[in-house]
Amino acid sequence: MSLRVMGQAAVTMNQLQQQLDVIGSNIANANTTGYKQRTSEFSDLLFQQIHNMTQPGNEVGRSTNDGIRIGTGAKLGAVNNDFSIGSLQNTDRPLDIALTKPSHFMQVITNDNGREEIQYTRDGSLYVSSEGNDLVLVSKNGHPINGLNGPIRFSNNIDSIRIGTDGRVYVTENGAEQYAGTIQVRHITKPRLLEATGDNVFQLRVPNTGFNEAEVAQLVDENNIMESGKLEMANVDIGLQMVDLMNAQRAYQVNARSITMADQMQGLVNQLR
Amino acid sequence: MLRGYYTAASGMMAQQRNQEMISNNLANARTPGYKADKAALRAFPEMLIHQMKSKNIPTENGLTLRSNEPIGSLTTGVYAQESIPHFEQGPIRETGMPTDFALVDRYFPDETGGAFFTVEAADGDVRYTRNGHFTIDGQGYLTNNDGLYVLDNNGNRIMTNDGDFHVTPEGSIVTNDGATTIGIAYIANVQNLVKEGHDLLRLENGNAVNINNTEAEVNVLQHTLESSNVDVSQSMTEMIAAYRVFEQNQRVLKAYDESMGKAVNDIARLG
Repeated sequence: MSLRVMGQAAVTMNQLQQQLDVIGSNIANANTTGYKQRTSEFSDLLFQQIHNMTQPGNEVGRSTNDGIRIGTGAKLGAVNNDFSIGSLQNTDRPLDIALTKPSHFMQVITNDNGREEIQYTRDGSLYVSSEGNDLVLVSKNGHPINGLNGPIRFSNNIDSIRIGTDGRVYVTENGAEQYAGTIQVRHITKPRLLEATGDNVFQLRVPNTGFNEAEVAQLVDENNIMESGKLEMANVDIGLQMVDLMNAQRAYQVNARSITMADQMQGLVNQLR
Repeated sequence: MLRGYYTAASGMMAQQRNQEMISNNLANARTPGYKADKAALRAFPEMLIHQMKSKNIPTENGLTLRSNEPIGSLTTGVYAQESIPHFEQGPIRETGMPTDFALVDRYFPDETGGAFFTVEAADGDVRYTRNGHFTIDGQGYLTNNDGLYVLDNNGNRIMTNDGDFHVTPEGSIVTNDGATTIGIAYIANVQNLVKEGHDLLRLENGNAVNINNTEAEVNVLQHTLESSNVDVSQSMTEMIAAYRVFEQNQRVLKAYDESMGKAVNDIARLG
């Protein structure tokens, strides 16, 4: 009975809800530095083949194959990260850096229950955190930034920090500039292996793909890979997201209307007697 | 018996099917490359109805002869016979994603012709799709939403150099390592395609030919998708119309029921 209509519409509404979540997350992060927007598109669901009136005499002149096929709604396909580069904003803060190539990522060292893990980010707003008598370069969330030789440490009585376009960090102590370490920048050759894990970082999922991490995340040793005093903004296009949001809401309403219609039809059946 | 009972009921059932197709179209109004289904209703097979008559022949004892005269043909209902997908071009919209493709129909030698992307299904056979929302898997191959490989001109999987490529209008995917032409199949009669779901179409009869071997012309656009060709306002109107036809049939059925009630309760009442 009308239940097929209700099923189609209800399934689709549930999926539209998820699309609204994706859009909502993009809009919420429109001001998150280094955020990469997520895109989602729909895909149709299984079609059910129904054989009705199978007498060959009735099938004269039909244009499609035998039977009728009725779909069962729509689903949200894969949610993909859009790794295009965001716009750069001048901040003039020496610890803000922006990576200038879209495939480049910095490494942060996170601590998951005593187990150290390397994660990837493009969020270049760096800070210093004190560790005993030393200062260490950390991300916004307080995780150390991975340098060529582990976390980048320097003494806590420095006057200034300077980050070069090749990722080298120089600190000035008592008027003398000295080299403190180099921020590791990796060129991710398979960006689809990056999985957003929250906190503006990505995890590289290499197991079972036949690649090793060094091959997928290649060390970059070049000049002009980053700019200091700038931040990469989110690559979210607010206008586009708003249009998507409105379209998804309308689609939601339309499907709700299908349910109302099916309900009224069932009401008519009920009123037969 | 009153035949109209079943005629009206079949009318309701046919509109129900119609409604199911319309609501599925509405559900897929945001599915790229989706082609709207239209229900084709058909009357039940015709039957000839006859009138039973008796004729009195004025003989001595009065002779009654039975005769049987045809009145005309009657069909006793309607059913949804076909769900016909309409393969018109959907509107093109820009997404900015390098792995989004759209086919733009230019010219088909057959009126019923159509061009499709080819993907390799789980069973190893080729399926056809108009949904060009592709992605790149961990290995670097071009796949569709469900991870099925998109095929090139020669039926091979397409290595994409990890998204760093551009596409020419002729369908050539140009990477640093060279160019591959995306496989586009031309199908002379699109109604031989059967919708399978997950954006896939299966060819039941006839052959698909490589578009390069035909006169057909399509353009492949990168960074764009072909939207669903469902017209929401039209579908909404169809939905209301189907609803009202359903309602009318319900009224007819009720009217029959009232007549039957009269026959049972009033006419035959004793005393």
